[in-house]
Amino acid sequence: MNTKKNGFGLLAKQRAAGWAFLTPATLLIFVMSFYPMVQAFIMSLKTGSSANMQWGSPITYNYARMFQDKLFQRSIGNTFLYLIIEVPIMLIFAVLLAQLLNEKHLKFKGFFRTCVFLPCATSLVSYALIFKSLFATQGLINTVLVSLGIFHENYNFLGTPASAKAVIIIALIWRWTGYNMVFYLAGLQNIEYSVYEAAKIDGATGWKTFWYVTVPLLKPVIVMTFIMSINGTLQLFDESVNLTKGGPANTTITMSHYIYNNSFDGVANFGYACAMSFVVFIMVAILAAINMKVGDTRD
Amino acid sequence: MKRKVVSVLLAGAMALSLTACGGSNGSAPASTGNDGAAATDSAATQAATADVASEDEHTLSVYAWDKNFNIPALKAAEADYQKNVDPEFKLNIIEQSQSSDVETAITTAASAGDFSTLPDIVLFQDHWIQNFVTNYPDAWKDLSAADIDWSDFGAEKLSYSTINDVHYGVPVDNGTVIFAYRTDLLEAAGYSIDDVTGVTWDKWIEIGSDVYEKTGKYLLSMDGDGNDLPYMMLQAEGKSQFDENGDPQLTSEDVKAVVDVITRAQKANALYLANDWSDYTDQTIVGDMVAGVMNGNWIIPTIEQVAENSGKWEITTCPTLTGAEGYASNGGSSLYVTANCKNTDLANDFLAKTFGAGSTETYDAALKNGGVITCSTKAGSSDVYNEGVEYFNNQAIYSTIVEFGTHVPVVKQSDFHYTAREQVAAAIQNILGGADIDSALKDAQDQLMFAMGK
Amino acid sequence: MTETKFKKNKSAIQRRLIPSYIFLTFWSLISVFPLYWMITAATNTTVEVARGKIWFGTNAANNFHTLISQNDLWGSMVNSFKYSIVQTLLCLFVCSLAGFGFELYHDKTKDKLFAFLLLAMMVPQVATMIPLFRMASGMKILNSVWGFILPSISTPFMIMMFRQNSRNFPVDIMEAARMDGLNEIEIFFRMYLPVMKSTYAAAAVITFMNAWNSYLWPKVVMLDNSAQTMPMLIANLAAGYTVDYGVLMMGVLFCSIPTMVIFFILQKQFAEGITGAVK
Repeated sequence: MNTKKNGFGLLAKQRAAGWAFLTPATLLIFVMSFYPMVQAFIMSLKTGSSANMQWGSPITYNYARMFQDKLFQRSIGNTFLYLIIEVPIMLIFAVLLAQLLNEKHLKFKGFFRTCVFLPCATSLVSYALIFKSLFATQGLINTVLVSLGIFHENYNFLGTPASAKAVIIIALIWRWTGYNMVFYLAGLQNIEYSVYEAAKIDGATGWKTFWYVTVPLLKPVIVMTFIMSINGTLQLFDESVNLTKGGPANTTITMSHYIYNNSFDGVANFGYACAMSFVVFIMVAILAAINMKVGDTRD
Repeated sequence: MKRKVVSVLLAGAMALSLTACGGSNGSAPASTGNDGAAATDSAATQAATADVASEDEHTLSVYAWDKNFNIPALKAAEADYQKNVDPEFKLNIIEQSQSSDVETAITTAASAGDFSTLPDIVLFQDHWIQNFVTNYPDAWKDLSAADIDWSDFGAEKLSYSTINDVHYGVPVDNGTVIFAYRTDLLEAAGYSIDDVTGVTWDKWIEIGSDVYEKTGKYLLSMDGDGNDLPYMMLQAEGKSQFDENGDPQLTSEDVKAVVDVITRAQKANALYLANDWSDYTDQTIVGDMVAGVMNGNWIIPTIEQVAENSGKWEITTCPTLTGAEGYASNGGSSLYVTANCKNTDLANDFLAKTFGAGSTETYDAALKNGGVITCSTKAGSSDVYNEGVEYFNNQAIYSTIVEFGTHVPVVKQSDFHYTAREQVAAAIQNILGGADIDSALKDAQDQLMFAMGK
Repeated sequence: MTETKFKKNKSAIQRRLIPSYIFLTFWSLISVFPLYWMITAATNTTVEVARGKIWFGTNAANNFHTLISQNDLWGSMVNSFKYSIVQTLLCLFVCSLAGFGFELYHDKTKDKLFAFLLLAMMVPQVATMIPLFRMASGMKILNSVWGFILPSISTPFMIMMFRQNSRNFPVDIMEAARMDGLNEIEIFFRMYLPVMKSTYAAAAVITFMNAWNSYLWPKVVMLDNSAQTMPMLIANLAAGYTVDYGVLMMGVLFCSIPTMVIFFILQKQFAEGITGAVK
C-alpha cells in the first residue's frame, strides 16, 4: 500500500471508514440476535410455565434432562442423518448445475435457470402437499412403481420410518439445490473471464479447468454454502413439520421441530426448549468453525 | 450502462425504503383495516398498533380460526346481538390459521409478560384450556358475572371450561362423536345400520372385515398420528388415559383393550390408518375409501364434500367393548374472555345473549352457515335442528347429535391430554410395526411420565 | 475466421453440449412438475384435487371467486410486497456495506468480530422468538413494517455472502480510485456496487424470497387482520376442519408468482453470460 504518498491521516481515515461500514449491521445483530440469545440462555436455566419461571434446581436441571430424553436424542440422530446424506449430494448437484448454466454457448439459459430455481420459490404449502400426494400410498410414485412391476403392492412411503426419512431427504434435495446453485452461479460470475482464457491457453481441459481454476476461486462461496447448509439442516423444521409431522411415531422428527413442540405446542416447557436450542447452537458452531478452518484460508 | 442501472436501482432503493418506513411510522397504515375495521381505529389510538383489544365501547375483538366453521358462527352472533341488543355493536373477528395459533398467541403473550397484545375474546380448544388456565391464570377473566343458565349445557362439555368450579368459557361448538355409515355399502354386504349400532367392537370388526371383502371399502379410517380413535373409544367406555390423581395409566387394562381392538381392526381390514390428518380427510373420506366415519360431528362437512354420495349416509352411536351404545366427544371449543378485555360487561353480555343461548338465532344461523352444532339443549330443540338433512337420508341428524351429547360421560381430563394421545398413537404404530403390546404401552407410559416431568 | 468455419465450430460446440441439455431438461422437468400441479389444481374442485387429478379442470373461476370473496387477497398481497421490498432494500444496503467493510478493510480484529457475528445465525429461531416479541411489543412496533423487518435487516448470512463474494473484488481498483481522489464511500457506490451487481442480484432474490415466505415470526408480530401477509393467508386456507384444495392452490399460485417474477427479472443481472461481469 502506498502509504507514503497518501499520508498517515488518509490511512486512519480508511480504517475509520472500514469500521463505519460495518457498524450498522453489527449493532443490529447485537440488539436483534445476541441480546435475545442472552435472554434465552437465562431462560434455559429456569423451569416452569413461561409466565412464571423459577430458577432450576440444580441450575443445570434442563441440561441434565436432555440426557434422559430419548426423543431428543432420536431427533439429534435424525437430524445428523439428514445432514450427512443430503448436504453433499445437494451441493455437488448445485455446483454441477451452476457450471453447466455458466457455459457461454448454452442456449435457453434463462429458461433452464428459472426451472432449476423454481423449487425454492414454490411456497412451502404447495410443495409439502405435492410431495405428500406424490408419495401417498395411492399416489403417483406408487402407481408407477407397481405398474412397472418394481413393487408388488402399494407401499406406504410416509408411514414407514426408513422410507419417510428418504422422502424428506429427496424433498430437501429437490427444494434447495436450485437455491445453492444461485450462489455458485453468482460466484462464477465474479470470476473474470480472462482467468479461463489463460487456462485455455495453458492447455487445460474442461475438467481440469473446473477442478484447478473454478473450484479454488469458488472456494469462499463453497465454504459459505456449506456453513449455510449445515446450519439450515441442523435447524431443519419445515420439512419435518409439513411432510411427516415428525411421524410415524416421531421417528423422523428433527431437533428444531422437537424444540418448537416444547416451546409452543401445548404444555410449553420454554426453559427446556431454550436449553436444547443452546445445544443445537453449540453443534452448529463447532461444525461451522471446522468448516471455516478447513476452507477459509486467504492466500 | 448496466452500472448505471444498478446504481440508480440502489439509490432509488434507499430513497424508497426511507420513505416507506417513514410512512409506516407516521400514519401507521398497518393498523388500519381496509374495510369497515377502520372505524374501530380512531385517530387517537393510531399509534398504539400493538393493542388489538378494542377501546370502542361497542366493539369486541375475537380470535377464531376456521372460515367455514366457527367464523360464520361468530358472524351469526354478531348479527344476532346487533339486531336484538345493540345496533352499533361490532365484532372484530381476527382470523387465525388454526387453533394452535391461538394457543401460541397466549403462550407468547404470557411469556413476554404482556397480555395487552391479546384480543378481548378468544376461541379456544376445550382440551387445552385446563392447561392454559393452570399455567397462565392471569390471562383469563372468569364469567361469574355473566347471566348464563349453565344447566342448559351438557355436563361433559362444561367439564372442560369449568376449572375449580369457576366458569371460564361459553361453549360454542359441540364435539359429540357420531359414527356415520354408508347404508348402501352396508346393504351390499348384507347388513343394516342397526347391525352396527350397539354392538361390541369384536362383532364390529367381523362386520368390517366382511364389508371390506365385499365392497373394497374400509368400515372406518383414522389418522395414525393424531389418533382421536383410542381417546374416543376410551371415553365411550367412561374411561380416561389418566387416573383420578391425574397420573397417566397407559398400561391399564382399559387402554390395552382399546389398543388391542385398533390393531386387530387394522389387520382385519376393518380399519384404515392414514398417515396424518390431511390423508385421513382427503384420501380416505373425500377420496371415497371408506364405508364409515367416526369422529366429532365437525367432520360432517368433510363427508358432505363428496356430492355423489348424498342420501347414502346415516349416523348412529359407536360400538363399545361391552356392546352398549357408545357416546363420546372429540374436539370442540369455547369462547374465553382474556385479561386484556377492557369492557368486560359488554363481553359478558354479548356471550350470554348469543352463545350462552340467550337467543336461539345465533345457533340457528351458526348451524346454517357454518354447520356448528350447539351444546345447548334449548337451542338444539329449535325447528332448524329438527329438519331432516338430505345428505343423511333425511335423518334429523342435528337434534340427534344434541341428544347424543347429553349422554357423553365425563372423564378425567389432564393438562397432558394431547401428549398422552401422541404417545398412544406412537405405541399403536410400534405395535403395527411388530412390537409387543405390553412393552409398547410401557414405553409410551415412560415417555409420557418423562414429558410430565415425573 | 470464415463464415463456414465459424458455423462448423458452433455446431460442434452444441454437439458437445448435448449431455448438458439432457441433464438440464431432466432436472427442469422434475423442478417444474409441482408448479404444473399447482396450476392444474387451482383449476379443479377440491374433490378432484384430493383424488389426484393432474389435468386442467373447469373450476378456476369459482376458485378465484371464493378466494377473493372470503379473503383479503389484495390487501395481503400489498402487505407482503411492502414488507418484502422494504426488508430487501434495507438488508442489501446494510449487509453489503458491512461485507465490504469486513473484507476490503479486513484486519485481525474485524475477522474475529465477523466470526463472532456468525454465531448469531446458529441459534434456532424458536429460542429467540419470545425475547424478540417482548422487545417488539415494548417498542410498539407490532403490526407494523418495522416489527416485521427489524430482526432480519442485518443477517450474518447476508454479510457473509457479500464478504465471501468480495474475495474476488480487484483491490487494485480501489487503490487506483483513491489516487483519482475518490473517498471511501464513493468507492463503495461507484466501484464496489457496479462490480458486485451479480452478488446484489442474487442477494436480492434470496432476501426477497425469505421475506416473502417468512411465516413463524410474522405470525407472532402481525396480530391484526389488516397486517396479514400472503403466507398467513395461505395458512388460513390450509387449515380448518374442511380444506378446499382448489381455492388453496389458487391462493398458493398467487403467493408463488411474485418470487418467481423477481427471480426471472434479476437472474439476468447475475447470470448474463461471462463477458461483462467485470468492466
